[in-house]
Amino acid sequence: MLLTSSVMAADLIMYDALDFAATAAKAFTAKTGVTVDVVEPGGTGETLGKIAAEGDNPQFDIVWVDGSAVMERMMENHVLQPVPAAFYDSIKFNDLGKSLIPASHAFVPTGASTTAIEVNTKKVPADQLPKSWADLEKFAGSVASKDPNMSGPMYQWLAGVFQTEGVDAGKAMLAKILTNKALAGFPSGGPVDKSVLTGDAKVGINQDSSIFAKIASGEPVVAIYPTEGSVALPASIGISAKTQHMDAIKKFVAFMTSPEGQAAMMNGDDTDFFFIPIIQGVSAKPGRKIDIPFVVLDDKLASAHETEWKTWYKDTFVQ
Amino acid sequence: MAHEQQLGATGIVRGSSDKQMVAFVRSAIGRVSVLPLIIYAVFAMLLGLPLLLVLVQAVMPGLFDVNAPDMALSLGPLEKAFGSSRVGNAVVNSLELAATTAFTATLLGGAFALLARRCNIPARRFISAVPWLVFLTPSYLKALAWVLLISPGGYLAQWGILSTQFIHTFFALPGLVFVQTLNLFPLATFVIGAALAGLGGEYEDAARMAGVRPLRIWLHINGPLLMPAIALSLITIFAEVLSDFGMASTIARVSNFGVLTYGIYAAASDYPVDFPMAGVQALILLLLVVGVAMVDRLLRRRADPRLISGRSKNGRTYDLGLWRWPAAIAALVISSLALFLPVAAIAARAFSRTLGAGLTFGNFTAANVLTALSFGTDTDGALLRSLAYAGIAAVITCGGALILAAELDRSRGILRPLVLGLSLGAVAIPGIVLGFGYILMWNRLPGLRNWPFPHYGDASLMVTGYIAAALPYCLVIIMGAIGQLSPSLGEAAKLHGVGATRRLLRITLPLVLLSVVTAFLFTFIRTMFELPISQMLVPVNGPPVPPMVTHLFSHDQDGLGSALSLLSMLVAGGGAGIIWLFAKRFVTRRGVASAVMPTPASSGISSS
Repeated sequence: MLLTSSVMAADLIMYDALDFAATAAKAFTAKTGVTVDVVEPGGTGETLGKIAAEGDNPQFDIVWVDGSAVMERMMENHVLQPVPAAFYDSIKFNDLGKSLIPASHAFVPTGASTTAIEVNTKKVPADQLPKSWADLEKFAGSVASKDPNMSGPMYQWLAGVFQTEGVDAGKAMLAKILTNKALAGFPSGGPVDKSVLTGDAKVGINQDSSIFAKIASGEPVVAIYPTEGSVALPASIGISAKTQHMDAIKKFVAFMTSPEGQAAMMNGDDTDFFFIPIIQGVSAKPGRKIDIPFVVLDDKLASAHETEWKTWYKDTFVQ
Repeated sequence: MAHEQQLGATGIVRGSSDKQMVAFVRSAIGRVSVLPLIIYAVFAMLLGLPLLLVLVQAVMPGLFDVNAPDMALSLGPLEKAFGSSRVGNAVVNSLELAATTAFTATLLGGAFALLARRCNIPARRFISAVPWLVFLTPSYLKALAWVLLISPGGYLAQWGILSTQFIHTFFALPGLVFVQTLNLFPLATFVIGAALAGLGGEYEDAARMAGVRPLRIWLHINGPLLMPAIALSLITIFAEVLSDFGMASTIARVSNFGVLTYGIYAAASDYPVDFPMAGVQALILLLLVVGVAMVDRLLRRRADPRLISGRSKNGRTYDLGLWRWPAAIAALVISSLALFLPVAAIAARAFSRTLGAGLTFGNFTAANVLTALSFGTDTDGALLRSLAYAGIAAVITCGGALILAAELDRSRGILRPLVLGLSLGAVAIPGIVLGFGYILMWNRLPGLRNWPFPHYGDASLMVTGYIAAALPYCLVIIMGAIGQLSPSLGEAAKLHGVGATRRLLRITLPLVLLSVVTAFLFTFIRTMFELPISQMLVPVNGPPVPPMVTHLFSHDQDGLGSALSLLSMLVAGGGAGIIWLFAKRFVTRRGVASAVMPTPASSGISSS
């Protein structure tokens, strides 16, 4: 029994790369009795890599990660199936939530965050704080960043920069900023936080929920939203093209987009618990900034160039 | 073979009918033809096919394409890999790290062996045990401990004894060499220590009687005699570093120091997933490791007859005089750096709220350990699963190895060298390559992916991977013991009509019990802390300890990760110690004279 999952199979198998997923899944099981096997292969990159390795024989029913472009690409590859319209109809999205529903129905958004500039206020004087991505040139060589091949939020950010700046101009700008390869290829937000807190890096490009988690724990950092605009990063649930458990998935999605599910998704102190709620009547964790002027990402374009742009980043900035 | 034929003839003459004769002939034919086939099939399924599927990616890049799989040959992946600066850097980094560590670890391990075996230093027995304890502590835990100690904001940095420049230097090649040297010097101690034991004292005594000074004796007599062992140590450690994944996925990753094993993992695990690139890097890694293993075998064959002599007498123990104290202190400092300091760092972090608040009373907490122990938590589940998987893998592997070793001991044809060759070859396959091959074989190959057992996504496949990785080692350990038994024991029982199963259980097993227990405990501990296969084949019903620990460390949950590591070491190490003491007492009480206890180095065993 220990060696086979089929004997004791759960009702759903979920692949995820979100801090709150296991906690929220337990709350879901307690509420509905529907059991969930939670598989966390690592970061978003490793989760997507596992799905890619499984090819046409996927083991998961649902995948829950940060990012919209990655979901779009998986649907184009027929790994995911479109979310039934009825799923959306029963969810009471707020305005931000409505703006995140993809035309392709590739995923269900459950919350949002974005990428911001992380600054240690003890290391950078208030009058020298950066205001835009372009300002980071002044900190060249001391900018911590993540590898978008391993971090879902980071790819959303990279595609957003190319959208707002233009691809060639964006590449040229990043080449002037990320001049220290030892700081530019971290696998997740934790090492970016550590670099900024220890002074190894003066500024970091990081998911804002990670920065708010550090602020909540008393660390001297701030999140600065660049004047170019911030691309919204939805936490997204995608449905496997080969799942046989659509009823259980419907219950799961309904729970996670209910006030009770959203509360379970905030019941913790790590990065992802500090998301922006997209359901009517649900408030964010205290201290979490929510009035951010968002830019909506062109998911189709970002999806079409995912391999090319990620490879460029890896070849250019990762040791 | 002639002896067996004689026995068979005796049995027939003694009273048999035509039916018995036919049955005997059938059984003989069956044994000759079926057993090799079964053995080949097992090795092919466990090791050969997964390895082939990985390597073939290098020249058949479209084989597992989801949309349009094809078997067209292409040199594209090789061209891409050799044109990629990242792959080039990974090869150079791997070779640089392996070559430097081979030298430093051999130097340190050799000195340790000399001190422990030939010098009258205080606490000699205690110091002699340290390499074993270091060897049994998993490399990724030691690496994570050094991250806790040296990283900016880590324990040593908090005490203000490390400069920023030192920290930067540490998280690069020098630091990796330092940590790998402390990780692998026990291999050199085992290899050179065994050679020192076999060296004997005759040549040295003769030289001394001729008035030669000790330094000259070592430079001109003992040194050259030990040279094969030193070369063997260099090669073994070189291969170990090349195929190590524990350091590669922890401290090397934090240091942004790309090596081949992590390159394979990244190519097969990140998006965009790049199987052909993983295949090419696996091919390069395997060629390097197999090349080194072949040199190792050649040297070992030449080295043994030179060093082991039936007439050898014990080598002379040197009286270091007052120098014995600094020597002992140096050995204890090395022991502290290699074992006690990393374990202390893990323990300190397990009982601390935050790393940043340091070792203060107010920062003390038992919450991490209590969480790890609490029933129903993820960490508790990981610990229980790992114990169960390690136990199952050890029982199956040792059982299979015992049966196979007994059969092979009876065979006199090509089977025995062939299986031994396959086993020793399998040692050269890095766990990360094997794990990748298992994904391709059991999740992508039509026909196999629907097998209920083993099945991709279940723990059954991960345990199969554990068994495949451990079987060669168990086989070498148990065959060594069985090879020492006189054939007359089994033959006498056979003449009295005792069946094969009963002979195995009642005669062979009790006589080699200590070696079987050694193989069991070795497999158990090795499996408990096995990282690459666990990471690649993590089952749906929850991860075992190693991936859970690395996951916790990479998600800012160092405290819980440390608590889980500490508990795992205590439970696995304590359990193994109790079983070992019990088995030893049991065997001694029954008056069994000897059991073969090969050193890890003598069987090419690794700890990564």
